[in-house]
Amino acid sequence: MLIKYKLLWGGLFYKKLRLLLSVIGIIIGVSSLLLMNAFGEAAKIKTLKEIETFGPEIIMVVAGSVRVHGGRAIQTEITTTLKPSDAEALRKIKDIKYLSPVFNGDGVVRYLGNTLTTIINGVNEEYLLLRKFPLLEGRNFLIDEILGYKKVTILGYKVKRELFGEKNAIGEVIRINKLPFRVIGVIGPVGIDASNVDQDDQVLIPWTVAISALYNVDYIRSIYLSVEDISQISAIKERINEILVKRHQVSEKNKDFDIVKAEDILEVKTQTTDLFSNLIKSISILALLTGSIGVTAIMTLSVNERKKEIGIRKSLGAKDKELLFQFLIESVIITITGGLIGIFIGLFSSFILLPLFKYPLVFPWFPILTSAFLTIIFGILAGIYPAYKATKIDPIVLLR
Amino acid sequence: MVKDLVILKNITKAYQTGKVIYPVLNGIDLEVKEGDFLAIMGASGSGKSTLLNIIGLLDKPDSGEYFFDGQEVSKLNKKESAYIRNRKIGFVFQAFHLVPWATALENVLLPLLYKDEEITNEDKEKALELLKRLGLEKRINAKPSELSGGEQQRVAIARALINNPRLLLADEPTGNLDSQTTQEVMSIFKELNEKGLTVIIVTHDPEVAKFAKRIKLIKDGVFIKQ
Repeated sequence: MLIKYKLLWGGLFYKKLRLLLSVIGIIIGVSSLLLMNAFGEAAKIKTLKEIETFGPEIIMVVAGSVRVHGGRAIQTEITTTLKPSDAEALRKIKDIKYLSPVFNGDGVVRYLGNTLTTIINGVNEEYLLLRKFPLLEGRNFLIDEILGYKKVTILGYKVKRELFGEKNAIGEVIRINKLPFRVIGVIGPVGIDASNVDQDDQVLIPWTVAISALYNVDYIRSIYLSVEDISQISAIKERINEILVKRHQVSEKNKDFDIVKAEDILEVKTQTTDLFSNLIKSISILALLTGSIGVTAIMTLSVNERKKEIGIRKSLGAKDKELLFQFLIESVIITITGGLIGIFIGLFSSFILLPLFKYPLVFPWFPILTSAFLTIIFGILAGIYPAYKATKIDPIVLLR
Repeated sequence: MVKDLVILKNITKAYQTGKVIYPVLNGIDLEVKEGDFLAIMGASGSGKSTLLNIIGLLDKPDSGEYFFDGQEVSKLNKKESAYIRNRKIGFVFQAFHLVPWATALENVLLPLLYKDEEITNEDKEKALELLKRLGLEKRINAKPSELSGGEQQRVAIARALINNPRLLLADEPTGNLDSQTTQEVMSIFKELNEKGLTVIIVTHDPEVAKFAKRIKLIKDGVFIKQ
């Protein structure tokens, strides 16, 4: 029983270097395809995660004009015409769920000997809910604290850790630009949002305090809104535009504000990631092709080297079909072995490399299946074609 | 009456290289009876190897008739020719043509792979018996590269005999051997023939040809009348 298989495929292990080279060709093709696709996939997931804290239901009204550049919404000039009364006016729009005026600036934050520079974000009691920031400890602002100009603050996760370490922060008094603020809450870790701002590196205070005691201005920088029904978002955006154009008495062409949806930011971002992943796909297909061409070359060489064996087998009564089957199985064995090792190496290296680049771990099923399928197809063709050609030659020519 | 195993009638064969046609066989008539031992002699290029390939169904004649074991075989397809080669004909070549990665025993068993039957322990016994008969009992697990020329040719003979062929064909079987080994190998052919096997060999060496029962000379693709 066993002798039969030895007689058929004993030749596979005759030239070990050749076998090794063919297998390595496949391994390189499959593993690089896998690794690159894992990166592409991970980049996509990372973007989607960033969008989560800047949900699709959020609309941002920004003073001045805004360009979306490289996935960030950038305010191109400072404008003083967006007023708190504009925020009040927008509140009258139907179907708005949360709304918060925002005035943000840089500030120095101190607690005992610890000092750091961070973003001071003046907001109202709806901002946490709007951004879906989780409270790690303490509580949200009260409406009375906003309207009553109370110096209270909610710390971002990193700010809390840097000022207080593991110690309790709630109830303690910190200084923001030298003014005392009582800590009432700490936000859990959120990470970087779609506008590329680290949401853990900020402190929240009532916007009323921000524009009066802290920065002494009569304007705000932006208004954040979220809508009840996401299908209404474009209509609401339109409505906001109408109201503000009227209030600011500007024409559509020289507006002093801009309205940005998460979707707009997302669009530019996905364009970038799509370009990235297309590039990756092209490179990996190239890698697989290179591997397959390598295998084809080696298999062709192998069959040429074994033309005499084909001739001998023919003279002993082997039929073309039997010879083709023999070489088919040989190349299938080589490609499947290489494919499996390649999948293993690709997965292993992506599990090591992805966290290194702060990408989320993904298990790219689709590339595994495609690359396995493609390599087997290539392998079969690579083995079968030269063998097919050899079986067509007269045995007397092969034996010469 | 002894049966005719091989009957060739007016066989011709030509090869074409580019536009030039080289006639190789120009009307060969031959009868070989069962139990015969025929040596076909001729200079190189006389067409003797082509004739042997046609007899062994490795090649096809351009015209003429060929009856092997009572069956017209000149127009069989590849599959049918392969079947007859496997069951009824044994080949021995000048260059031995052993599979390099297989042991002596495995080389002898190779024709059984194409017999559409499982290889049994009896087959293995038979292969061992053949190798023993040819004096190779100590070399059954050796690779061709580890065997001397004479030993390799004896493995090739064992391989040709494994399927109990009706006809043994040998193309310059001693062409790569020294004179002493030549004597040994030819004695084997003689012995096989004495036990009833029909043998046809092709050679240019009169020393080899004299082991045969009869000799035919070929020149320019035809037999010379003797």
